[in-house]
Amino acid sequence: MRVVIAEDLFLLREGLSRLLTAHGCEITAAVDNGDDLLRALLDQRPDVAVVDVRLPPTFTDEGLRTALEARRRIPGLPVLVLSQYVEQLYARELVADQSGGVGYLLKDRVFSDDQFIEALRRVARGGTVLDREVISKLLGRRAKDAPLGALSPREREVLALMAEGRSNMAIAQALFVTEKAVSKHSTSIFAKLGLAPSDDDNRRVLAVLTYLNS
Amino acid sequence: MAEWIFLLAFSIGCAVVVVRRQRVLGHQGPAGRTRGPGWGFLLLPLALLLHLTTGGGPLTLLLVLAAGGLVVLKPTAARRLLPYALIGFGLVGLKLVLLAGGPGYSTELIGMAYGAGSWRDHFLLPEALAFLAVGSYLAIRWGRGVPRLVLLVAGRPAWGRDRPAGRAPRPPWNLLLIPVGGLFAELVSPAWTFGYNAGADLAAMAVLGLLALSVILLLPSVAADLAVAGLLLLGVYGVAIALLWPRVFPQYQDLLYGAVWVTNRPLAVLAGLQGLALIGLALWLAPRALDKRTMALLWPERASEAELAGRVEQLTQTRAEAVDSAAAELRRVERDLHDGAQARLVAVGMNLRAAQKLITSSPEAASQLLAEAIDSSSRALTELRNLVRGIYPPVLADRGLPDAIRALALDTPLHTVTDIELPGRPDLPVESACYFAVAEALANAVKHAGARHVQIHARHDGELLRIEVTDDGAGGADPARGTGLRGLERRLATFDGILAVNSPPGGPTLVVIEVPCALSSPKTSSS
Repeated sequence: MRVVIAEDLFLLREGLSRLLTAHGCEITAAVDNGDDLLRALLDQRPDVAVVDVRLPPTFTDEGLRTALEARRRIPGLPVLVLSQYVEQLYARELVADQSGGVGYLLKDRVFSDDQFIEALRRVARGGTVLDREVISKLLGRRAKDAPLGALSPREREVLALMAEGRSNMAIAQALFVTEKAVSKHSTSIFAKLGLAPSDDDNRRVLAVLTYLNS
Repeated sequence: MAEWIFLLAFSIGCAVVVVRRQRVLGHQGPAGRTRGPGWGFLLLPLALLLHLTTGGGPLTLLLVLAAGGLVVLKPTAARRLLPYALIGFGLVGLKLVLLAGGPGYSTELIGMAYGAGSWRDHFLLPEALAFLAVGSYLAIRWGRGVPRLVLLVAGRPAWGRDRPAGRAPRPPWNLLLIPVGGLFAELVSPAWTFGYNAGADLAAMAVLGLLALSVILLLPSVAADLAVAGLLLLGVYGVAIALLWPRVFPQYQDLLYGAVWVTNRPLAVLAGLQGLALIGLALWLAPRALDKRTMALLWPERASEAELAGRVEQLTQTRAEAVDSAAAELRRVERDLHDGAQARLVAVGMNLRAAQKLITSSPEAASQLLAEAIDSSSRALTELRNLVRGIYPPVLADRGLPDAIRALALDTPLHTVTDIELPGRPDLPVESACYFAVAEALANAVKHAGARHVQIHARHDGELLRIEVTDDGAGGADPARGTGLRGLERRLATFDGILAVNSPPGGPTLVVIEVPCALSSPKTSSS
């Protein structure tokens, strides 16, 4: 997997490179500002980019805006955005084009490297990955609404993991149940929310997110 | 005779009970509470006065007993009732003025009892007015259940309009116009000299009273000015009587002036003294009650000086508060870091050190320690993140106020509609203060109001940034009580901004934030 890294802090950039290399990724470029990032993304067309939200020269949301710009020029270019904090507002902007291949995670998630690499691979394959903090806020906001209130606690857990972008298998592992049970739950959830069921993981995530964001 | 002895004994008994309770409460009760019920005791002498004034019927005797019972058993209720009893007693006085013109009227009987030392019937009217004025004042001052109309007349927009949080309203000086109008009626009515034509007096009073009321309602800012001018005029008239007597109005042998029935030179001097007192009152009131614009017309230098002095005082105060709150904020950050992230990092270091020692002898224990270290560092990050959010939210830094408010709205578990259009960015401190004010308003809507929908509206009209947060919750929010809104009000005051809350019981609650500020030119790159 060919990866471009954009991170302005030297220590973190090196750490990320080492981690990804250890998991068999090829780092084609490791840049520290928005302009270089855009150039690297357009020139090298990596399998996936790992981008910090805050980058020079503005030290604001330069990384996010560059990633969005690159995806405007190359639709579906896989980007995993990392940040010290997560905002629903930014998550919305990332998934807005509905083309998949985006991820938005807290930097802390790098600590659990297996899950992090798995998330990165999913983004590279065109999936959508959102941090569980975003999802819990999203669910919390709509918790009082009728259809969500009608879900059982287990169904809510499944829904949250689904919204994070996990596959049925990953959900089954996380909840210690069989894949079949997960698929039963997900059918029931989609029926209760009035959504068309879908086997495609990514389309499923987008449907759930669209529902929660509406 | 037996009745009088009984009444005397009854009153003394009540007084003893009340005084003893006050003494007990004075030691045990919370500060400030004992004074309240104490005032209620006045209900008893008032009832006694009424009993005497109306000639001592059985009905008023019952009233005296009831008042005594209330004073002893329900002191708080007695206190609450007192203003209205005073107003009622004032109305009785007006009624007596009316009676004074009729047949079969006895000065001795009535004059003896109404008010303090009413030994002459022409004291009746001023005393009745005094009772009315004191009663109305107390009703407004103490009253929670004050009729809305009274508040409206008094020019205190308690609910109707936005009121800056925590700022005490001005005393209702404009109400003064009513008694001043009454005085004019008495002096300038058809019954020019005291001719026992109380009916005409009352009619003139009613007309002038209505006039005064309509001025207060329609031109509230002028009412107090008129009242002061009226007092001044009345005072000058009194002094003129003293100086010119007996050539004031040669066609009359006697004149009524306030509490004095002028028939000779010494009494005219008394009238003059009264007039001087009125002039003194008017001069005392002028700087307090006059409208700002009137002040500026009359004493331009003084007005601008007063304005400057007020501004200096306000700036000194807001600066001190800003410094205080900044220091308090730093203390909070220090404490949070000390107890949170710093402590966790110490734990991480210790765990790593221990793991390093164990790694060869007991790899499993080392691995356990390393897992703990990872967990600790993760928690430290979470705490730092929350801390940073509380100091300067990242979205605000990234995107500015509109997106920061939108992000807030997204994080609020309510149906939130945002309508924000700002052509540029305010200064960072202003932005931050506004952001936290909106955050607090939203938090209150969630926590206290039990709201379901919230609307946030923000505009800049070239000079003023105005943000409105409306929720459909239970209302009844009092900014004076919540420390959160109070602190934000102080923070906004540093920029001459205000935070106003309009929250009638039952909702909706409207929080308005207004800050005079300029916007910087819009960002060149927008997303």
